[in-house]
Amino acid sequence: MEQTPGTGGPRAADPGRPPLIAPGYTSATVTDKISAVVLRGTPRWWFAAFGAAFLLVMLLLGTLGHLFLKGVGIYGVNIPVGWGWDITNFVWWIGIGHAGTLISAILLLLRQEWRNSINRFAEAMTLFAVACASLYPVVHLGRPWVLYWLFPYPSTMGVWPQFRSPLVWDVFAVSTYATISLLFWFIGLIPDLATLRDRAKSRFAQIVYGMLAMGWRGSARHWHNYESAYLMLAGLATPLVVSVHSVVSFDFAVGIIPGWHSTIFPPYFVAGAIYSGFAMVLTLAIPLRAIFGLKDFITDRHLQNMAKVMLATGLIVAYGYLIEIFMAWYGDNRFDVYMSLNRMFGPYAFQFWSLIACNVVAPQALWIKRLRRSPVFLFVIAIIVNVGMWLERYVIIVTSLHRDFLPSSWGMYSGTVWDYSTFVGSIGLFLALMFLFIRFLPMISIFEMRTILPEARVEEARK
Amino acid sequence: MSGTAAVSLAPAAYAPPAGLAAVRRGAFAVGAVAAALSLLGAWMDRGQFFRSYLVAFLYWLSIALGCSAIAMLHHLTRGGWGLMIRRVLEAASGTLPLVALFFVPLLFGLPELYRWARPDEVQADALLRHQAVYLNAPFFISRAALYFAIWCGFAWVLQRLSARQDATGDPALPRRMQMIAAPGLVLYCLTATFASIDWLMSLDSRWYSTIYGVYFVGGHAIAGLSFAVLVALYLSSRGPMSAAFRPIHFHDYGKLLLTFVVLWAYFAVSQLIIIWSGNLAEEITWYRGRLLGGWSGVSLALVTLHFALPFLLLLSREGKRNAGRLSVVAILLLVMRWVDLHWLALPALSPEGPAFHWLDAATAIALGGLWLSAFAGRLARRPLLPIRDPFLPEALAHD
Repeated sequence: MEQTPGTGGPRAADPGRPPLIAPGYTSATVTDKISAVVLRGTPRWWFAAFGAAFLLVMLLLGTLGHLFLKGVGIYGVNIPVGWGWDITNFVWWIGIGHAGTLISAILLLLRQEWRNSINRFAEAMTLFAVACASLYPVVHLGRPWVLYWLFPYPSTMGVWPQFRSPLVWDVFAVSTYATISLLFWFIGLIPDLATLRDRAKSRFAQIVYGMLAMGWRGSARHWHNYESAYLMLAGLATPLVVSVHSVVSFDFAVGIIPGWHSTIFPPYFVAGAIYSGFAMVLTLAIPLRAIFGLKDFITDRHLQNMAKVMLATGLIVAYGYLIEIFMAWYGDNRFDVYMSLNRMFGPYAFQFWSLIACNVVAPQALWIKRLRRSPVFLFVIAIIVNVGMWLERYVIIVTSLHRDFLPSSWGMYSGTVWDYSTFVGSIGLFLALMFLFIRFLPMISIFEMRTILPEARVEEARK
Repeated sequence: MSGTAAVSLAPAAYAPPAGLAAVRRGAFAVGAVAAALSLLGAWMDRGQFFRSYLVAFLYWLSIALGCSAIAMLHHLTRGGWGLMIRRVLEAASGTLPLVALFFVPLLFGLPELYRWARPDEVQADALLRHQAVYLNAPFFISRAALYFAIWCGFAWVLQRLSARQDATGDPALPRRMQMIAAPGLVLYCLTATFASIDWLMSLDSRWYSTIYGVYFVGGHAIAGLSFAVLVALYLSSRGPMSAAFRPIHFHDYGKLLLTFVVLWAYFAVSQLIIIWSGNLAEEITWYRGRLLGGWSGVSLALVTLHFALPFLLLLSREGKRNAGRLSVVAILLLVMRWVDLHWLALPALSPEGPAFHWLDAATAIALGGLWLSAFAGRLARRPLLPIRDPFLPEALAHD
């Protein structure tokens, strides 16, 4: 097999490439350390944290119950601003999901071994983020019980979805994305599930992990099929990293609303998605590695690499802002010019300049190596970028809509308490799922970590 | 990793092949003859000369700049993949001062090419009057000078560090090159974007598209990499480099080329979908002139020969590893880059359809001959591999 994870030559000793795993580990100690998080008893703080997240899930369910009883009127949306927090949150969550697929698929194909310690929980993050995201368009439908009309089933009413509408493409893009992400994550888990099955002490855990491991015995034949399947899925997942957020950007760009109708949208949305996704991975990874003592596996080099990806994608996003403003001036279309000025100096100027401060100004600190090395600083920047990317979607959606072409149809928008509770509730859902994941499944891929151990290199060289 | 011991790192082992000197002389002779013919053509038909010359200039610029950008990407990511073609990329980016010289004749044809350079038309058009703050000859020329200063400057600095690495093998150098490549790439993307607006988009100053610069940069990447792969294939077909190159190296370049081709198509189709769906009068006219009428054949050729065929050929393992098949793809893409630049530039100047003129070929061959001659001269100056780069053994033993 070529390009299996971890066949890159004797890199650990090379100048300029610090090791991906702290020295002194063997296959057995790596396995012990990662599986112990799952197999030993539940720490007390976990119950507190999960309980808090669970309360937020209850808040979400309560809000949705109220929504289904009363209708979307409980939200702040109005005419002209028919899209508000819900779509902002949808785009924000789906964007966050992109880092997982990028790390698991594209970095695998690029033979970037540093991905091995972060891909597992980044993929889990993707799944949970996609789950939170797909909630929004559904509850926002007004009549969510006819959700199935979105699918092109042979309807007895002779009604088909409008295939020219990107909103329909969204259904396909997001559901494909969720399916492939789930498969990729689960297939990646199988060898580790078998490890847990073999190491679990309780009969119940042995049975559950055993069923999930699908009869994995680790034979050469198993590994051979496994590697092929994994590479194939990576190949399939790669275009999805680009396609999903491109389709999301089409939701806006194919219309003729000034501020939405811009050809740079697809690549700039994809870059923004990866930007926010890496910010979220850092937001999760920095506390996790501190709490579970995993700094030997998720090293400072990992954090630095992620910081660099964030800096690069942040610059692409800044390029998008710049070129949009320049073209509005250059083309001299009065609506485009007005929209740009309104964004910068209109009633939502505060949100706009906050977004520039969060997304463009703050991340420039990542050029400085000393700051990239500080986990605390990175954590702060990652939070700022998360906020900035939420604001970006809010500004794009609200400022483009609230001043319609005719001043008679101008309006203002702000979210209601139900908008806030839906959003906070979805963060609770995300965190609750995340806590369940780190409690019951290995958050770092055990077998892929073994491939980057120095002893794996020795064996490879002997071959 | 067993191949490491067998690899020689002596400079003599990677001396440039003798054939390069002949290439240099031959290309120069062909270029000089074509340049003389082009001058004759300029005297006969000034307007046509400048149209042809603009495309020819942008074409050879795209190869040199594409190579320079890929070299910076290689330094930035410190990817082992770039080491085997680094000298090709460096030799091509070293020609950028010559390309700056190629730009100079265009300054004499601004009114022939651009409406904004004709004062009477600017007076009569409100949009052109608005744009005159940006689109005016002095500012246009100073911007071009700035672009070339940045491009040549970064290429020169990286070149010098690379030469120092050959001499001293200082282990701190890759890091320094990385630190220069990062701002270099940022500035390259910005300057190339504004260059595309200045030189191409302003041919039809009514139309604008925010993805235009990205599309232009994507074209550079394809042109630069196709050229570098073609030169690498040439080098690998004879000693001494035939011993160094392995099919896996070309497999990697094939993958990278496939990525660039798909990205280019993605930029193109994003722009098309958005403008087609919006169907606004000021935007769709750009496509009307290209998709309907005389230019529609060229559009179809771009879809099939710039995307579909290279995509299918590069998808298979053999298409990337087999030297013959990979060179077919690289040549096809280099030809289609030229067609794409025509398609971008000329419908604004000859809306009824493509009218091939012998000057199109003459100017392209003239600049190409002179450029290739300079390139071959630069390539012959140094060993064909960066022999003291710490990652070279790993790249050579790549399996």
